[in-house]
Amino acid sequence: MKDIREDIAWAQINTDVLKSLENPRKLYWVILLIAIAMVGVAVGCEIYQYNVGLGVANFSNPHVWGLYIATFIFWIGMSHSGTLLSAILHLMHADWRKPIYRFAEAMTTFSLMTAGLFVAVHLGRVWQVYYALPYPNWRQVWPNFQSPLLWDAMAIFTYLSSSILFLYVGMIPDLAICRDNMNPGWRKKLYTALSLGWEGTDRQWRNFRVTYLTIACFLIPLAVSVHSIVASDFAMSQQPGWHITSFPPYFVAGALYSGCAAIITLFIILRYVFKFEEYMTLSILKKIVRLTFAIAMVWTYLNLIEYASVWYGHDQASKDVLIQKAIGPYAPFWWAMNFCGSIVPFILFFKRYQTHIPVLFSVSILLNLGMWLERWMIVAPTFSHGYYPWTWDHDQWPSLVQWGIVFGSFGWFTLLFMVFCKVFPSVSMYEVKEMVYHRSQATKKLEATGKMAAAGKGAH
Amino acid sequence: MSKRHLLALFNNFDEAEAVVRELRSVRISGFDADKDMIVKSPIEHPEVEEFLGDKPVRVQWYTLGGALSGGLLAFFLISGSQANFFAQMKGGKPIVPFPPNFVLTYEMFILGGVYISVLGFLICAGLPARRSPLYSAKVSEDQIGILVQSDEASSGILKAIFTKHRALEIQEEAGK
Amino acid sequence: MSVSNLLENWSEFRHFHPVDDVPHNPYKWAMSIDLDACSGCNACSVACYAENNLPVVGREKYLHGQAMHWMRIERYWDEDGRDFPDQGAQFLPMMCQQCEAAPCETVCPVGATNHTPDGINSQIYNRCIGSRYCSANCPYKVRYFNWYDYPTTDNVWPAEMNQQLNPDVTVRGKGVMEKCTFCIQRVTVAKNNAKSEGRLVHDGDVQTACQQACPTSAITFGNLVDPASRVHKQWQAQQVELDKDAQAKDKANDKEEGGGSDLRGYRIFEELRPYPSVMYLERVRESAV
Repeated sequence: MKDIREDIAWAQINTDVLKSLENPRKLYWVILLIAIAMVGVAVGCEIYQYNVGLGVANFSNPHVWGLYIATFIFWIGMSHSGTLLSAILHLMHADWRKPIYRFAEAMTTFSLMTAGLFVAVHLGRVWQVYYALPYPNWRQVWPNFQSPLLWDAMAIFTYLSSSILFLYVGMIPDLAICRDNMNPGWRKKLYTALSLGWEGTDRQWRNFRVTYLTIACFLIPLAVSVHSIVASDFAMSQQPGWHITSFPPYFVAGALYSGCAAIITLFIILRYVFKFEEYMTLSILKKIVRLTFAIAMVWTYLNLIEYASVWYGHDQASKDVLIQKAIGPYAPFWWAMNFCGSIVPFILFFKRYQTHIPVLFSVSILLNLGMWLERWMIVAPTFSHGYYPWTWDHDQWPSLVQWGIVFGSFGWFTLLFMVFCKVFPSVSMYEVKEMVYHRSQATKKLEATGKMAAAGKGAH
Repeated sequence: MSKRHLLALFNNFDEAEAVVRELRSVRISGFDADKDMIVKSPIEHPEVEEFLGDKPVRVQWYTLGGALSGGLLAFFLISGSQANFFAQMKGGKPIVPFPPNFVLTYEMFILGGVYISVLGFLICAGLPARRSPLYSAKVSEDQIGILVQSDEASSGILKAIFTKHRALEIQEEAGK
Repeated sequence: MSVSNLLENWSEFRHFHPVDDVPHNPYKWAMSIDLDACSGCNACSVACYAENNLPVVGREKYLHGQAMHWMRIERYWDEDGRDFPDQGAQFLPMMCQQCEAAPCETVCPVGATNHTPDGINSQIYNRCIGSRYCSANCPYKVRYFNWYDYPTTDNVWPAEMNQQLNPDVTVRGKGVMEKCTFCIQRVTVAKNNAKSEGRLVHDGDVQTACQQACPTSAITFGNLVDPASRVHKQWQAQQVELDKDAQAKDKANDKEEGGGSDLRGYRIFEELRPYPSVMYLERVRESAV
């Protein structure tokens, strides 16, 4: 099974991908409306919460954080998919990433935008969120740069803007293709403006190649540091169950895991909807599935080693938190997390299921469910059984307001992604052409050496 | 004599390479192979770069400058703001602590690097670019274009070279 | 902000507090609470409500854990099978420990909580954007968040109670964090009075509301660096020091067998090294007499 058919005509690639930009069918509008309705639910909940106060989210002392922080981390985690595919696999010359990295990068950008919303929703005084920005003022009051939450703000800003730039710069040749093939209208104007007059000259390509590589080199440490910084929200505190050295790599592994699972989900959807079977081939799906399995094992290891280190230490408070996770009020969710995160990926181990679309679709959603639960299980149990005995033995569950906003965030992401898929090419046309070109060149070379060898004229 | 543009489209890189070699070797009046010829293609092409010769790509200098200045700016901005006139202590830690400042310096190092790289790319690649007088959508599809600029008199010679190497299409700028 | 300021005072900006720093001068407000004298009457808690305009949240919110009691009385008892276990309950008045190395101060993203020169952990309501990281990081969970807009909520100060509101203290709207401030409004008044008379604050010039209300005088509050103050003498007698993470009482108890030493002073969660400013005097147990 080949990653891509080597005799695909380049013109065909253009046609197939540009077809995805045509006017959408009715189903698209239906789903879009559902997404907008979901966002409406979240907006309604937030307006209620904004006016009345965070008490409606069912927070209490000491349980001051809940689903907002958990889902925030979840969305940041999902954003690592694009960077993984774009940057890491690019540096490893894994060209099978080429048909799929465009939508993965879009996923990164929109996940970050969704995560940013949660920062706002979570605050008690949202209207003063700008206090966290370092702007000069007469009182010389600056934000507190020691705070991991502030590092979050800086890191996410950096990551979001870098992702958008990377996505855009990488899209310029494709935007030129769109410009060249559109009838006059708003689309043509948009693509003409955005493609910056790209014509594929030698000078443009040389600089493009170097820039792409350079930004990819920066994006990898950035992605690692962003999620490490988010992990620092917990690791830099003293609370039992949080002050764990392995949290930064654990979170990064969880992020890559989340991202890969989400790529599988969106891969299956886009392949079906836009009929991209030639480009998003089952062979590539298989590679992503295997990668997901590998990352699942990394995450499982880091998860288990965290338990092991708690067991080894004499820190009674941390031990108690771990025991509480297993048998306390959150136990069903914790066990579900471990099941979804560590057991379910073994389905991906079997060749039979590695290209079985329905199984993969459900498994990828279960994996992401496991990852969302993981974030919640990091936040909640430490509050329910911290250092101070007076704070124990209370039950605290998120209210419908919290669930509503979490629910709506998925609608927001879907909305952004669906609009993206209809305005911008979700498969990178020029890179697929490169993939086809280089692979056919490689095959030709192999055949040539093979023929020479067969004819008795060994190449060496 | 006024300059005219010609655009020739070819099927693959080998033909384009042959044309470029010939254009370089032949002396044509009013035509300088280095300055008056631009190769356009749908994908990036280390092979073309090889036969066109090495041209310096300066984007990474921008990257270096951007990253270093981003990091330094961040460190001094942050430390300076922490060392302001009321210098409030937080958590018993030093007023200007290194671990948090390092984290933010690192982030801004990357931010500076990425932003200035993009800026450098736009500057070095000359984007946004004015559109060429001759362009074909096939260049973004599957054909390689060579745009040349020469005196009117030489256009015949150039067309002959193009045709010899199986040009699929030759566009000529309309007379003035 | 200035880089020159930064470079000039570099060494001053780089030290750790309180371990390798000069102690506060001339004031370091600290407290000591005698748990043997504490009868659990809650007068201190009520006085704190009155002094600081704390909202009464009502039964439902209280049960849900959204109470605003800056000073709370905790009850602890042994479950040893007797009929009324809480009969032998011990009472612990707990409020913000004004830690010298407060875990809450480092993590506020906007710097709404800082350490004042006279040793109090300040909470600046106007700056707070309500991220609640400070409360998440507090080992004692003594920070209270305004989950609702209490000043505009009904019945937080039912009729006639609103006549006792303290004009010296702001009321807090929704979305800000608050906690015990060692009655900083009273401290400020005392400091101002002393300054206008050209002297420092004497011991006894300022009393916190809880100290004032306590019927058994279990709470002692004063300036720890003033050798004449009662709180300084108590800390010294108990051999409790601000910048240590294990107290003499524990070391002495480790050495002796059977009964403990005469030292009763300790601070809560010292091993976490927040260096709290409140010393508790252990209750004399029946077994020890």
